[in-house]
Amino acid sequence: MKKKEPTFEERLARLQTIVSALESGNSPLEESVALYKEGLAHAAACREQLEKARHDIRLCTETGTERFEEKNLDEE
Amino acid sequence: MDAILSVRQVTEHLRQAVENRFPYLWVQGEVTNLSRPSSGHVYFSLKENDCLLNCVWFRGQQKDEHFDPLTGEVWEDGPRPSLASRMENGQTVICAGRLTVYGARGQYQMIVELAQAAGLGLWHQEFEALKRRLAAEGLFDPEKKRPLPREPRRVAVITAPTGAAIRDFIRISGGRGLGAEIRIYPVPVQGEEAPPRIVEALERAGRDAWAEVVVLIRGGGSVQDLWAFNDERVARAVRRCPVPVLTGIGHEIDHSITDFAADYAAATPSHAAQLLWQERHVFAQHVDGLETALQNALARRLNDLAMRLAHAGRALALLSPLERLRLQEERLHHAVRRMNTALEASLAEKARRTESLALRLSGAGETCLQRAESAAERAAAPLLSLGRTLTMAQERELSRLETRLQSLDPFEPIRRGYAMACDEEGNLLRSASQTAPGRAFSVLMADGRIRGTVTEVEPLPEGETPPLPPGRSARNPS
Repeated sequence: MKKKEPTFEERLARLQTIVSALESGNSPLEESVALYKEGLAHAAACREQLEKARHDIRLCTETGTERFEEKNLDEE
Repeated sequence: MDAILSVRQVTEHLRQAVENRFPYLWVQGEVTNLSRPSSGHVYFSLKENDCLLNCVWFRGQQKDEHFDPLTGEVWEDGPRPSLASRMENGQTVICAGRLTVYGARGQYQMIVELAQAAGLGLWHQEFEALKRRLAAEGLFDPEKKRPLPREPRRVAVITAPTGAAIRDFIRISGGRGLGAEIRIYPVPVQGEEAPPRIVEALERAGRDAWAEVVVLIRGGGSVQDLWAFNDERVARAVRRCPVPVLTGIGHEIDHSITDFAADYAAATPSHAAQLLWQERHVFAQHVDGLETALQNALARRLNDLAMRLAHAGRALALLSPLERLRLQEERLHHAVRRMNTALEASLAEKARRTESLALRLSGAGETCLQRAESAAERAAAPLLSLGRTLTMAQERELSRLETRLQSLDPFEPIRRGYAMACDEEGNLLRSASQTAPGRAFSVLMADGRIRGTVTEVEPLPEGETPPLPPGRSARNPS
């Protein structure tokens, strides 16, 4: 991985900042459009991240962790 | 036999024997034959294997409890409803009261004054004591509570790996959060070995220092089932844990000691998952909202810029030379109008003044004129008479002069026989030198003119007078 992918929260925070910056409305047109494009990209990436979000469930053992088997859930 | 006793006497003897022997007693047994007639009294039996004790709990004794009847501790959270309303068949209760004989039925029975669910009472006593002790130590102090992380990515879950608790937790968390790693620290959650194992897991999670939050969960159960979570060791380990601890212990009633010690207590394992992570569609909605806000913001920004452009355009047009010219022209027109108005007013004023002066003048002038005319008339009278005198004298002089003038008439001599010579141009010839031979001349006579040409010029010698014309004296040579 060349560059660390921003987390969802980082993207969301950036998106929030962009919206605030645009709403304050002092940036030049070119900058506004650039911000807008960046914001759209973040929004799309956020959606993708949400789409892919899964919990990784692991079971601690004496030696470390192992994948938690779903079948365990059906017992008891 | 001394005497034959009546039934009443026997009953009375029995009553006295029973009541004297058991003035007040505590009995534990399982409720059966429970009956609540409309009278409000509660009838039931206490059973233990093949033994039965009939009981009656009169309405007057069924008071809400202000204190624990077994320990005498006052309930801190207010009075509790009497067990009389909650009692159920099969429940093990402890009843306090006295034994008596009910003659009508030939039965002995217990008049109940107090009753308490057996297990609960004892557990509760222990529970309250521990809770009070730990509270006094400050283990439950609100200021010790640490905030839960929002949307944690690393979560340690201490629970039984096979149970409803972990199943519910995983199921609920599935649609939530942004993708976390959940590590299950497997422990037994009931039984004797549960408390030390839970403590161990808490310590391990703390040592690992990996998780952002430790979740301690257990599915619902009876008070006895959940007793491990009322263990002092567990409560202390929770408080000791360097990572915030969230409990999710399914209770039927009240909280456990561990819940009080935890940083946050969820009601159930599912609730714990809900507290940790937001539903994913909430995030999606948030993203949508921000995207909409982004689009609106840009639209507003563009609109704002367009408006500013239009405004600047208008301002520029206002500042243009053409516009300035127009403005100045307008000002000029205005000035001219003002000037004209002023001029007209001024002229009108002058005209008015002239008129009034003329009026005054004409009055004065007429008087003056009349005065002058009469003066002139007066002055003219002597002049007129003088004039008339002068005229007569002049007339006389005039006729005299006329007479003299007539005598001087150049044509008089002609009429008397003299002639007058003129050159070809009509000029009077006064000297012979004025003509020369060959030149034309004319002679004017009284009755006509003679034209001819000079043939000879003969000047008179010096001192000789020309011959006089006939009939004339030499008196008037000119």
